[in-house]
Amino acid sequence: MIALDFPEINSILVWKDIFPNFPFNKVALIAVLATLISSTIFLLAVRQSHKEAPKGIRNFAEMIVEFVEDGIVMQTMGKDGLAWTPFLLTMFLFIYLCNVPGIIPFFQMPATARMAVPMFLALMVWVIYNVTGIKHQGVGGYLKSTLFPPGVPKALYILVTPIEFISAIIVRPFSLAVRLFANMMAGHILLVTFALLSEALFQAKDKVLIPVGILPFFMLVFLTSFEVLVAFLQAYIFAMLTAVYIGGATHPEH
Amino acid sequence: MEAIARLVAAEATPAELKNNAAAASAGYAYGLAAIGPGIGIGYLVGKSVEAMARQPEAAGMVRTTMFLGIAFTEALALIGFVVFILLKFA
Amino acid sequence: MPTAIVTQSNGRLVHVRLVSEDTTDTTMPVEAINETTVLEDGVTSGEPTPAAQSGEATPEQLRSATGEVEATVKAAPNPIAPTPKEALWSAGSFIVLFVILRYFLFPKLKKGMDARYADIRSDIEGADTVKADAQSAVADYEKALAAIRVEASGRIDAARQTVDTERNAQLTQVNARIAAARAEADQQTAAARAAAQGQVAAAVAQVATMAAQLASGRAPDAAVVQAAVTAAMESAGSR
Repeated sequence: MIALDFPEINSILVWKDIFPNFPFNKVALIAVLATLISSTIFLLAVRQSHKEAPKGIRNFAEMIVEFVEDGIVMQTMGKDGLAWTPFLLTMFLFIYLCNVPGIIPFFQMPATARMAVPMFLALMVWVIYNVTGIKHQGVGGYLKSTLFPPGVPKALYILVTPIEFISAIIVRPFSLAVRLFANMMAGHILLVTFALLSEALFQAKDKVLIPVGILPFFMLVFLTSFEVLVAFLQAYIFAMLTAVYIGGATHPEH
Repeated sequence: MEAIARLVAAEATPAELKNNAAAASAGYAYGLAAIGPGIGIGYLVGKSVEAMARQPEAAGMVRTTMFLGIAFTEALALIGFVVFILLKFA
Repeated sequence: MPTAIVTQSNGRLVHVRLVSEDTTDTTMPVEAINETTVLEDGVTSGEPTPAAQSGEATPEQLRSATGEVEATVKAAPNPIAPTPKEALWSAGSFIVLFVILRYFLFPKLKKGMDARYADIRSDIEGADTVKADAQSAVADYEKALAAIRVEASGRIDAARQTVDTERNAQLTQVNARIAAARAEADQQTAAARAAAQGQVAAAVAQVATMAAQLASGRAPDAAVVQAAVTAAMESAGSR
C-alpha cells in the first residue's frame, strides 16, 4: 500500500520573496521578465531594416502583430478596431509570457495561476470597455444599449435587464479572470500531481512498482505538451474576449 | 479502513468534521460542475466540425466562434474548480 | 500495510493518521498545520500556536518534517486570494510594456511594415506599367511587322507580275518566231513536195506516154495522160 503525500497547496502556489525584506517573488519576477522579453523582441525587431523581406526576429515580431491584427482584431472588431491593436498585442504577449513559465524548467509556475495577475487584467478590461462605451455612446446611450437590448418585447425587460446588468457588470470580469486563473492553476496542479506520482513510484520500496512509474511519467509529458497549447489558447481567448467586449461597447447591435 | 473512518467520524472534533465534510463536498462540487460543460463542449465542437466539413471555406470564422463558445462554456466548469479549491483549502 | 497513528490527549481522540510503513513522518495534528503562522520573509510569528505550545511540533520542525522547499505557509492559507504585491508588480509590468509598445516600438514596427507594403505595392504597380509598356511595344512591333509583311508581299506580287508579263511577252515572241519558222519550213516542204510531185507526174506521164506509144503506136493525148497520172497518184496518195 502506498500513499501519495501531496504537499500543502500553498507550497506549490505561494512563493517566498527572492530577496529578504523586498516584496518581489517568483510571480513578480515572471511578470517583469514577460515585459523585458517582449520589449526586447520588439526592440530588436525595430532595429532591423524594414526595407527588405523580414527575417529572424523581425519576421517573428511581424508575425505576432499580424496574428493579433488578423486573428483577433479583424475577426471581432473589424477595421475600426485596428487602433486597439497595440493594447491587444500587449495583452496577448503579456498573458502568454506569464502562462508559459508553467512548463519552463526552474520556473515551473505560471504567473497567471495566482489570482492577482488575472484579476488585475480583468478589472482593467472592465474599466476600459465601460469607459469606451460611455465615450462612444454617452452614459445614457451606453446604459440603454447594455441594459435594454433592442428587439426584446417591452414586458420582458423586467427579466432581461437584471440579467444583462449582472452579465455585463459582474459576470464578464469575473469569468474573464476566473477562466484564465483556473485554467492555469488546474494545469499547474495536474503537472505537480503527476510529477509527484511518478517520483513516488520511481522511488518506491516495492521494486515491482518502479516500472509502473513510467505511466504517470508519460502522462506528465503529455500534459506538459498540452499546457503549451493551453498557455497559447488562454492568452488568445483572453485577448479575443477583450476585443469582443470593447467592440460591443463601441458599436452596439442595432 | 472503514472502521477507522467511522471512528474518526464518531470521535472527531467539530473542526475535523467540518474539514471532512468540506473535502467530500469539494469533490462533489467539481464532479457535478464538470458534467454540464462536458456535454456542452462536446456538442459545441461536434457541431462546429460538422459546419466546417459542410463549408470548409467558412472554417476560419467557425473556428473563432467555436473558441469563444468553448471559453464561455468552460467557464462554468472552472468556477466549479474554484469552488473546489475554496472548499478544500480556504 | 498502513499503520494508523492515533494521537490522544486527555482521553480524547485528537488525530488519526494513516501512514504506509516506509514513511518516517511523525504524527502531527492537522491543527498544527492549519494554525501555523509563518511570515513571508521566513520568520515565524511570535506567538506559537496552542498546538505548538502543547509540544507537538514547532513550526520549524514542521517545515523540516514536511520538507518544504521554498514555500511560505501563510496565516490564512487561501490559495486563490490575490496578493497585493503580485498584483502591483504585474500591473506595473503590464503598464510599462503597454507604454513601450504603444508609444515607441509598435508605431515604429508598423510604420516599417506599412512602408514595406507600400513599396511592394508601388513595385507591383511599377511592374504593371512596365508590363503594359512592353505589351504596347510588342503590339507596335507586330503592327510594323504586319505592315512590312504586307508591303513585301505586294512587292513580291508586283515583281512576279512583271516577270510574268516579261516571260509572256518573250514567250509570244518566241512562239511567233517558232511559228514563222515552222510556216516557212512548211512552205518549203510543200513547195519541195509539189516540185517532187510535178517531177514524178512528169516522169510518170512520160513513161505512160512512151508505154502507150509502144503499145498502140501512136502518141496519146497529153491531157488524157496527165489526168490519168494525176488520178493514179491521188488514189495512191490517198491509199
